Amino acid sequence: MAGLYLHIPFCVQKCAYCDFVSFADPEPLQAYLSALIKEIGLTARRFPAVAYDTVFIGGGTPSIVSAQDMAGLLAALRSAFAIAPGAECTIECNPGTVDAQKLQAYLKGGVNRLSLGLQSAEDGLLRAIGRIHDFAQFEESYRLAREAGLQNINVDLMYGLPGQSLGQYLSTIRTVAALGPEHISAYSLILEEGTPLYMRVKAGETTLPDEDEVCDMQDAGRALLAELGYERYEISNYAKPGFACRHNINYWQNGPYLGLGLAAHSAKEIDGWRRWSNHAEMSAYLAALERDELPICEQRRIPHTEEMFECVMLGLRMLKGVERSAFSARFGLDVCTAYPEAVEALFALGWAEATPDALRLTEAGLDMENSALLYFLKD
Amino acid sequence: MAYQRELIRNFCIIAHIDHGKSTLADRMMELTETVSARDMENQLLDTMEIERERGITIKASAVRMFYTHTDGKRYMLNLIDTPGHVDFTYEVSRALAACEGAILVVDATQGIEAQTLANVYLALDNNLEIVPVVNKIDLPSAQPEFVIKEIEDVIGLPAEDAPLISAKNGTNVAAVLGQVVEMVPAPQGDESAPLQALIFDSIYDNYKGALSYVRVKNGVVRAGMRIRSMATKNEFDVTEVGVFTPNLKPTDSLSAGEVGYIAASIKSVAETKVGDTITDAEKPAKEALPGYKHANPMVFCGIYPADGADYESLRDALAKLVLNDASLTYEAETSLALGFGFRCGFLGLLHMEIIQERLEREFDLDLVTTAPSVIYRVVKTDGTELVIDNPSNLPPATEIQTMEEPMVEAHIIAPSEYVGTIMELCQERRGIFIDMTYLEETRVNLKYNLPLNEIIYDFFDQLKSRSRGYASFDYELKEYRKSDLVRLDFLLNGDMCDALSTIVHKDRAYAKGRAVAEKLQEVIPRQQFEVPIQAAIGTKVIARETVRALRKDVLAKCYGGDISRKKKLLEKQKEGKKRMRQVGTVSVPSDAFMSVLRIN
Repeated sequence: MAGLYLHIPFCVQKCAYCDFVSFADPEPLQAYLSALIKEIGLTARRFPAVAYDTVFIGGGTPSIVSAQDMAGLLAALRSAFAIAPGAECTIECNPGTVDAQKLQAYLKGGVNRLSLGLQSAEDGLLRAIGRIHDFAQFEESYRLAREAGLQNINVDLMYGLPGQSLGQYLSTIRTVAALGPEHISAYSLILEEGTPLYMRVKAGETTLPDEDEVCDMQDAGRALLAELGYERYEISNYAKPGFACRHNINYWQNGPYLGLGLAAHSAKEIDGWRRWSNHAEMSAYLAALERDELPICEQRRIPHTEEMFECVMLGLRMLKGVERSAFSARFGLDVCTAYPEAVEALFALGWAEATPDALRLTEAGLDMENSALLYFLKD
Repeated sequence: MAYQRELIRNFCIIAHIDHGKSTLADRMMELTETVSARDMENQLLDTMEIERERGITIKASAVRMFYTHTDGKRYMLNLIDTPGHVDFTYEVSRALAACEGAILVVDATQGIEAQTLANVYLALDNNLEIVPVVNKIDLPSAQPEFVIKEIEDVIGLPAEDAPLISAKNGTNVAAVLGQVVEMVPAPQGDESAPLQALIFDSIYDNYKGALSYVRVKNGVVRAGMRIRSMATKNEFDVTEVGVFTPNLKPTDSLSAGEVGYIAASIKSVAETKVGDTITDAEKPAKEALPGYKHANPMVFCGIYPADGADYESLRDALAKLVLNDASLTYEAETSLALGFGFRCGFLGLLHMEIIQERLEREFDLDLVTTAPSVIYRVVKTDGTELVIDNPSNLPPATEIQTMEEPMVEAHIIAPSEYVGTIMELCQERRGIFIDMTYLEETRVNLKYNLPLNEIIYDFFDQLKSRSRGYASFDYELKEYRKSDLVRLDFLLNGDMCDALSTIVHKDRAYAKGRAVAEKLQEVIPRQQFEVPIQAAIGTKVIARETVRALRKDVLAKCYGGDISRKKKLLEKQKEGKKRMRQVGTVSVPSDAFMSVLRIN
């Protein structure tokens, strides 16, 4: 497995809770797309002869890019890299920025999976978190995608939104599930420092549901999704059978991926496990490509023990857990042998269990995933 | 050859923090070419980093300058620096006792402050000639005529001839030196009499051992002599005597009237105590110079390493600090909550803060400190008397007949508009109003008797915030007084946390118990089970809060390919976990112990 990620750091407007690298100013978009295409070429020459099994175009809002520009980008990607037959190719879209023409361009360029950011079916809540669309626009985008022929659609939901009730969250799940997307992601809102929402909460202008309410939403949401046929396969991800997101599973298996674009991250085996990331400053990113250089701003060789911890940290997010055979093949020892004390402690707490195939967190362990991982970190 | 005594002037500078003492000292040293401006670090006399940052002088130091006056004669001026804070009153009094005069520096924009006043009275008690100086006349808000009137009205000193100076710009500094020569009397003394040298400071030198800074009152001291400290009875062989240029410069001898240092391979400053008299062991003086006092710590607290593994480093650091600070005491203690640490004694609050800061800064230690305590006197029902500086050692209430707490007399000088709010604060802290006098139309001097245990937390901070920084404050220990005191304990999930116990007045126990319990509820993170927090007096619970159980602890969001962000987050949490203390079953962050000190 190997993945390709392309970052489109532009949005119509930045959401109140967002701390990803993205800009509401579309001014450098054209320059950025040219640079990105250049980076695609440079990167492909640097790492030839790998077939990629997944592609993910994320953002920002990739659907802000015009049909023509996206077609060009996809074409550049396909001509530079070997994309495996049957590869999963996802693009993130925001309702209100998608139209039939864009969808046609995506399909022509090989996109076969759409990820729609809805967050909530309540218009009031959408406004409160600074989304640019209402529920009707989402329905319209969803309908267009289906009409265009997309057969694999994800819808992103959020809980723990300012003023959100448990009832509202469950009703959003029901409304969305009735449309029948293949995949639903349900994330709890994380208040990130420096975001407008953070300021508002700090200033007492907005209140978030308390910890218990958020926990109730998560528990009830999880039960309802299961009831509606969506199987939980990762902490925040649910899918109909066969539709789990392969691109993300590759991350969680600590597999190799190349990230292209502003602030994108990459990981790959190059004389040991290595991670690197691109410039997060637009000017630095553009300037590097202007000089025909890869826009890498830092890179690190990951020591063996840390690579091992990464495999656990990421693998335990999935319900199937860390695959013992894959772990043994990679490190030459069994995962339970590598962390005897942590494993024993988690067993005692009822947070983890080992099967012949995997080490995985139980339902209780998944709820306490963060605490559970601390046991795997050396003192 | 000893310097002609009538050409010697020994003096110090009295000033409030920030009124320009160190700057004035710098200018004097430049003017007398004691140090060249080029060589000069700013504020040379303050050698410790913290002193420089806080703009205060902690340890006294000294410097010898030569100045040619308008009469054509060359005078030796010995400037003895004094610490500027209430905690060091005794040290100040000994430095003053080494002088014949004092320059009183008053800020032309601020006027006289409480500590200045206290030190001026101390100087007058020591029969010092006071040379008033008005500083900062370069500032647009300077009101020298008001300040002169204030000096005359409040202290009763004629000040019409006080030099108006700007130490910062060097304006009129020569006039100050001139007045020192003219107004401060030359030292008295008898060179042929048996040696009497007053120790006004002592510092530890890595090569020479503890050095005694002395003012020779009678006789002569030179290398090779056997000397005796009259209070401690220790005897030493003098290896070197010398003067401050301001660096240490060996000389043949120090004679009556002179100021300098004595090195005698002394192991720690505890053996050469401030205020003690050094005499000739072969031909001792009949009596010691007056005024020696053993400086007892008044405020105590437990100091623990945030990471238990740093215990040895903390012990080494304290051992190094006491080499240079005879008023700091420490002894090993253990706390159920905090593990191994030390009970430390300090002269006062600032002293405590300075030591904590030095430990953290100079020795790179992370500390947990317990609530400060004063010394209580306890008479048990069986008649035995106890002295308690740690609440944990207080016997059960049923065994206590009476308890006494230390009282201080506090002077607070503030603009009159803040009198109401300051009096309110003093009342809240069980203060007893004594007196209020107007220093001028808009400034008052408030006198209160206050229990020391009410001012050791945040009294000064409160005073500052309630007076927008204008109030100044000074106190001295007055007496012990019978008081209705109880020990307030805190229980976490049923287990008592000894590090949180405090002794409080009965009438304040409920409010304090509630406030601390609420604060603990905020600072103790949710655990995997519910944690009841109880405030109790004996077995009686007076307040209760609950930290609810943690239901979920999961990072729902996945930051795309940015794995390092999550790894860093986890590493930070792991680090935080290491700094948690175990109280019974409950994990308590180290900061929690400190944050409960800052409740109001």
